[in-house]
Amino acid sequence: MTINRRAFMKAGGLALVSLGADPIFLDRAAYALTSARGAVAGKKTLVCLFQRGAVDGLSMIVPVGDPWYWQERQRIALPKEQLIPLDGMFGLHPRLAPLKPLWDQHSLAIVHAVGSPSTTRSHFDAQDYMESGTPDVKSTPSGWANRYCNHPEEHSSTPFRAVAFGPQLPRTLAGSAPALAIDDLRTFGMRAAQASGEQKLTRAFEELYQGAATGLVASSSAESFEAIKMLKTANPTLIAPANGANYGKNKLATSLQQIAQLIKSDLGVEIAFVDVGGWDTHVNQGADQGQLAGRLDDLAGALGAFTTDLGERMRDVVVITMSEFGRTVKENGTSGTDHGHGTAMMIMGGNVQGGKVYGKWPGLAPEQRYEGRDLAVTTDFRSVFSEVLQGHLGPANISQIFPGFDRPAKVGMFS
Amino acid sequence: MRRLIPVLGLGLSLAASAPAQVPMTAIDSARHVLNRLAYGAAPGQIDAIAHEGVLKWVDRQLGFNDVHDPALSDLERSFDVLQVSRLEMQQMLQNNQAKNQKAQAVGDSTTRQKLLDQLRMEQQGDRRSLQAMIGQLQTVTMARAVESDHQLDEILADFWTNHFNVFINKGQDRAYFADYLEKTIRGHALGRFDDLLIATAKSPAMLFYLDNAESVADGSDVILAAGRAGRGGRGIFPNPRAGVFPPNGIDPMSPTAQQQAKARAPKGLNENYARELMELHTLGVDGGYTQQDVIAVARILTGWTIDRRNASYTFRDPVHDNLPKIVLGQKFDGAHAEDEGMRLLKMLASEPATMHHVSAQLCARFVNDVAPDGCIDDAVHAWKKSNGDIREVVRAILHSPDFWAAANVQGKVKTPLEFVASALRAVGATPDSTPRLAQRVAQLGEPLFQHATPDGYGERQQDWVNSGALLARMNFAVQLASGRMPGATVNLDNVVPLTDDHAVLVEAINTAVLGGLMSSQTRQTILKEIADVPDPRMARALAVGFAIGGPEFQRQ
Repeated sequence: MTINRRAFMKAGGLALVSLGADPIFLDRAAYALTSARGAVAGKKTLVCLFQRGAVDGLSMIVPVGDPWYWQERQRIALPKEQLIPLDGMFGLHPRLAPLKPLWDQHSLAIVHAVGSPSTTRSHFDAQDYMESGTPDVKSTPSGWANRYCNHPEEHSSTPFRAVAFGPQLPRTLAGSAPALAIDDLRTFGMRAAQASGEQKLTRAFEELYQGAATGLVASSSAESFEAIKMLKTANPTLIAPANGANYGKNKLATSLQQIAQLIKSDLGVEIAFVDVGGWDTHVNQGADQGQLAGRLDDLAGALGAFTTDLGERMRDVVVITMSEFGRTVKENGTSGTDHGHGTAMMIMGGNVQGGKVYGKWPGLAPEQRYEGRDLAVTTDFRSVFSEVLQGHLGPANISQIFPGFDRPAKVGMFS
Repeated sequence: MRRLIPVLGLGLSLAASAPAQVPMTAIDSARHVLNRLAYGAAPGQIDAIAHEGVLKWVDRQLGFNDVHDPALSDLERSFDVLQVSRLEMQQMLQNNQAKNQKAQAVGDSTTRQKLLDQLRMEQQGDRRSLQAMIGQLQTVTMARAVESDHQLDEILADFWTNHFNVFINKGQDRAYFADYLEKTIRGHALGRFDDLLIATAKSPAMLFYLDNAESVADGSDVILAAGRAGRGGRGIFPNPRAGVFPPNGIDPMSPTAQQQAKARAPKGLNENYARELMELHTLGVDGGYTQQDVIAVARILTGWTIDRRNASYTFRDPVHDNLPKIVLGQKFDGAHAEDEGMRLLKMLASEPATMHHVSAQLCARFVNDVAPDGCIDDAVHAWKKSNGDIREVVRAILHSPDFWAAANVQGKVKTPLEFVASALRAVGATPDSTPRLAQRVAQLGEPLFQHATPDGYGERQQDWVNSGALLARMNFAVQLASGRMPGATVNLDNVVPLTDDHAVLVEAINTAVLGGLMSSQTRQTILKEIADVPDPRMARALAVGFAIGGPEFQRQ
């Protein structure tokens, strides 16, 4: 194992500098080395990153070619010269620079003007709809990713099939299929001064909960104890970042590092979830400096470290970013933006056909906007999710995962 | 007939005459009200309340007869944060910011870092620093939850703190929050809803948190006269027209300062508060308002801002939007300045949608995660009859058949705060004077006053039950029972007598800690796991840890 990992790191490092038309992850020789370690279950992983608070998609992926962007954002438009050109029409926020290599290597795709058909501008309703996967239907009990995990064949042997990082289990993963919530891998488990004490406590509580717990408490605790056993053998937190990856110190970076550790430990993670807040920029949003820039710095830094760390293994991993809606086209009276409609998503890794901004651009002229004020939605978020599930994880029963959404439009990211 | 159930609590003797289909004894009733109106039972309290009469105790909690708690008053006096004014807190914040800015401006990076570290050390060491004050606020909240005799006050303070959530770490809110909690929330927790709503609307804490302090009539910079300028805290820039005072000593009349201020000054509306006011505080998201209503409400509330000279609410007419507006079909002609905001808030407070929305949330807190319709109806009825007297609304909920329905008893999972406070009460533990106990609540997922988004912490089991959180609760329980928990003093001798007889021990724990609800599986598992523990102290600590960390204690 040690030898293989060292070889992998070396190969991964090489892969990083071999720029070409292929995605960086397609170095087959190195991939063969990692496969030799033997995976316990399906190898593909989807990482969902929720930007809670409604990110200003127009600042992440800036429509430089649309004159209304400049017109409506006198105080908060990004300085033109600082934008990282993508395709003439769009430019990347300078703080997303760590993601530019992925774009150049066709491993980062962007979908713009994406969002929900629901008209709500409530954070909480809109997040709920994006997580349940059923816009305007509040009664849906489960999350879309949990419904995906309801197909029985794969991953049945692992509690790690669906893992959320954070103190709470997100709505996206709520439902009848098992899903773990881990705030921090390093403190997950029973703690005692001695190993024997730890074992005794673990055994006792497992029995207590098996005996007398009901409902959600019973299922959640059962998953905990199963996970503890597997972590004890795999010990993922000992795995150091590879390829010189430098994770920051923020919570998102730590979570992504731990997701990478789980992936490398081959514990069968199929869907990982992590969220990051701070996008609700009503006041002094800033441009290349300031509030939003700081958040994007953390985001891109963590994602850059994650993709570098996984290196070759990124061929099995797709990361998708999402946010409940976007923000007003016109800046508000306090140098910020209010709740809007369409926004942008980023999809990176796996076999994604990157280096391209997908989705029809609706334009920012007042008459082209949604209700005269917001970026219109031209791509339903469920079309993106469907395509990512099928294009990356494999066949999925879309009408069961997104009830009432039978014919997703083709976005084209994986064709 | 179900209406009779609470009456049973009036005395033990009545319980015997209960109809067969009503299984609740006075003991059951006492346990139930202690779970829902209080942070669980302290040792012996279930018996005491069953004996006193459950409804008598409930009425006392509702304040019909005062709860006298001199011990708590003494305790509260030891917390400086409860005596310090908002203005003093603001000065502390500004001093910190000024020192910080000065350190940040140092060119040499080693010296800069040294200065910043030094500042941090100073802050941590100073008993009267802003950071210490914020820590005290969390500490006193834990102490009150565990020790106050007026438990319903604490429960409602927690409820309203989340209903009108403010994130304590947002810029100026570090200075404003203590006053918000003490006066705005706690001062109105059992008062009238419209008073509470207006108090939050005018609180510097809310004005800053949801940006209304910055929202001005569109195009109002034409009104800007040469005025004061200066930089505010993180996340906000001053509105010179709104009388924001320079906190940092830069000459406000200097051309640079004025230029900066003008460039940064708000130029128009900010919808943030207007939307959350209707979505979260009053009507509810399905309460029938539109985007146009959001904009109209924001316009009505322009000019409602903070005067930083005295850290207080003020109305600034020059930035108020004087044009006519329409909200929910009601005309506001625009000529009434601050009064139209007052009219708006009173109107929102008495809308049927508001009564329904807030009542449903109270029912979710007191009765069931999914608020039962009957209980909501009872609450709304009381709301109408009493013009929004919170005491009467809560009273109606507690008298509703749904509150006493068997399906709703033990039907809710404790939040982290409820779990920690009830665990301490169950073992008669005393929180110490440090924020360490609050830090444990934070580790379990509920850092007090630090919910960043305006919806506040959730009330439903799916908000709190998950694999990681349950393990953290088990660890907490073991640590607490072993007496090794920083932040609390435990003496199990006061709760469960020491004995070599494990069966007697476990039964004593069942009565004292689990209120008699220990399942036979739990009993067997605990007996088995302590069988090989010869030391009676260790066996007792382990068994109490299992009881508190086990499944029964997670419910209420």
